[in-house]
Amino acid sequence: MSVLKKSAYAGTLESSDAYIQVSPIEEDDIKIVLESSVKEIYGDAIEELVRETIQDMNVNNVLVNVQDKGALDFVIKARLQAAILRACEMEQPEWEVL
Amino acid sequence: MKPAISFSQFDNTNTRRVKKVEHFLDSVDLELSPDIEVYVSAREDNKMIACGGLSGNVLKCIAISPEKRGEGFVLSVMTQLLNAANDRGRKELFIFSTPKNRTFFEECGFRLIEECDEKIMLMENTQNLEKYKNSLSELKKDGEVIGSIVMNANPFTLGHRYLVESAASQSDHLHIFVVREDASEFKFEDRIALIKSGLSHIENITIHEGSDYIISKATFPTYFIKDKGDVNELHAKLDLNIYRNHLAPKLGITHRFVGTEPYCTVTNNYNKNMKNILEDKNGSSNIIKVIEIQRVEYDNKAISASRVRALLKDKNYEELSNIVPDTTFEFLTKTK
Amino acid sequence: MKLRRSMLFVPGSNTAMVCNAFIYKPDTVMFDLEDSVALSEKDSARLMVFHALNHFVYKDVETAVRVNPLDSPYGLLDLEAVVRAGVDIVRLPKTDTVDDVLEMQAAIEKIENEIGRTKKTKLLAAIESALGVVSAVDIARCSDRLMGIALGAEDFVRDLHTQRTKQGAELMAARSQILLAARAAKIHAFDSIFSDVKDKEGFLAEVNYIKGLGFDGKSLVNPNQISTLHEAFAPSIEDVDWAIEVTEAAKEAQEQGLGVVSLDGRMVDAPIIARAQWTLELAQASGIRRD
Repeated sequence: MSVLKKSAYAGTLESSDAYIQVSPIEEDDIKIVLESSVKEIYGDAIEELVRETIQDMNVNNVLVNVQDKGALDFVIKARLQAAILRACEMEQPEWEVL
Repeated sequence: MKPAISFSQFDNTNTRRVKKVEHFLDSVDLELSPDIEVYVSAREDNKMIACGGLSGNVLKCIAISPEKRGEGFVLSVMTQLLNAANDRGRKELFIFSTPKNRTFFEECGFRLIEECDEKIMLMENTQNLEKYKNSLSELKKDGEVIGSIVMNANPFTLGHRYLVESAASQSDHLHIFVVREDASEFKFEDRIALIKSGLSHIENITIHEGSDYIISKATFPTYFIKDKGDVNELHAKLDLNIYRNHLAPKLGITHRFVGTEPYCTVTNNYNKNMKNILEDKNGSSNIIKVIEIQRVEYDNKAISASRVRALLKDKNYEELSNIVPDTTFEFLTKTK
Repeated sequence: MKLRRSMLFVPGSNTAMVCNAFIYKPDTVMFDLEDSVALSEKDSARLMVFHALNHFVYKDVETAVRVNPLDSPYGLLDLEAVVRAGVDIVRLPKTDTVDDVLEMQAAIEKIENEIGRTKKTKLLAAIESALGVVSAVDIARCSDRLMGIALGAEDFVRDLHTQRTKQGAELMAARSQILLAARAAKIHAFDSIFSDVKDKEGFLAEVNYIKGLGFDGKSLVNPNQISTLHEAFAPSIEDVDWAIEVTEAAKEAQEQGLGVVSLDGRMVDAPIIARAQWTLELAQASGIRRD
């Protein structure tokens, strides 16, 4: 299990992108706060994607703040993974997992 | 192939770059705010095209050169600012700006708290105002007259005590907000401790720690306000509108008590504005009646915190003991 | 034969461009992880490109990635990501010597073996220095994975201690050398970017110039430049007419069982026939065709 050593962020507020902040929390949970212009239609799908991506990375105890600016799935994944790797201070991910 | 636009981050010790920012702001008709800790600037072909600053948890002096506007470039600048704030562990941010910029900042995750006269607005990127209001609701007390006082108490004097005693006697319950801003000589923890101990004999009061939503003059930005004569009025309006529309209703506040202000013109003006704003019948929430209470005097002079500080400086402990309660006197003499 | 007229540069940190580049249908999409990506964003851009390469919209487009130098903290990590994601071409950031190419090849091979990939990732060497230019012939011949060499003009002129001009006199020697080396090694030759996206005339002039020199294609920084480039590279009606005649003559000769193809009393050998066929392919791709 990978552990978050600090808070970290990745991405931008530009159109088609997502600005994602992650921080370690006490609770044994994955908490997600989502802000998106398409929250009503896609909110659940985005949250599910975020949750799955984090679980695949074997990470827990994390608070994720997502500001979605109309990002495709793979963009959210890429930014989220970058933020998590930064927070875990890991350079090389397990590529198969991603 | 290097990118055409490059961003840099630097702090206020880098005087050469700060000067360039000042120059750029001037070119778009804005002033440099002197309290900025961290700057972000964008350059294209060696020319500055955008800048922004962070002071505490407030973003300010965000400006983009006219040629670059409308391209969504502000989003890139805001990203850099959020990154700079994040690097310093500041995630809960505020923005003061002109209302015409509202949509830009909404795209960056900020939501409007209050707007005044189309000249100024305050935004935040969290839900903290809602959370704060909910916590206030839980402290609501019943009664016909629910009074309030906002005080700095730098430090707590007999004048303050008198004000509270008068106000409390006229109210079913009295809410006291202590301004948190540490722009005073005495630290917040000390000020509030003195207030609490100095008022322990009064039962119908609640003492609230000040929040980010009481806007002190010190944090109020002026860099984009053209007419400096406007500044005090806008500050008062913004602060009092937030108070009247957001905070007061949660506690059912009906009255606000202030001491008369014979010495400080700024405060005097503020009190005048207060009557206009809180009692304006055209407001969107209930009227709050403003009651001015005559300052108590000692030796034919109104008791004031500034007088206390002056006496303290002169080590005039005898006269000091006449204008502060014992609890304050103990504190002041203990630490000297 | 794969057309490689246009190689669209896409900074790996620019999400909107990464998502949209394929729409403009360049011959090759080149994701950049090197100069156009800030140091603090190298890791994030790498992941973005990794995912983009794996995405279905880029499955049918030829992809390239310019990785960071192997002697930087980023180069090897870049390779791990993009080779695994199945990129078609790896662009070496700065190639001065044959060793540069061989090192990169070895590093890529190692990863391919680890993941059991049989497809051989191709290489494209960017020549950006005087040393690179004078070594161009050796570089062009040193690896069968090398599909082309490209001129990196910005860095090159700096190495020469001069500046770029619209006329491009400062690039003459480099362009000639690179082109000659590419042709001698039978690989592609690519010209550098034209960064002034507002100067449409200047761009067209440069495109016609390098096409005249014999270059196969050019790097582009803006999708707007693609159609201008493709049109300029299209064969003329006369070229197409000639190509049709040659291919018809060749077909006829084959049907008649003749060993030699002749047209207008002249012998037409294999390279000419190949060129004629290529001209027709080019015409078809550019949308110019006479039936």
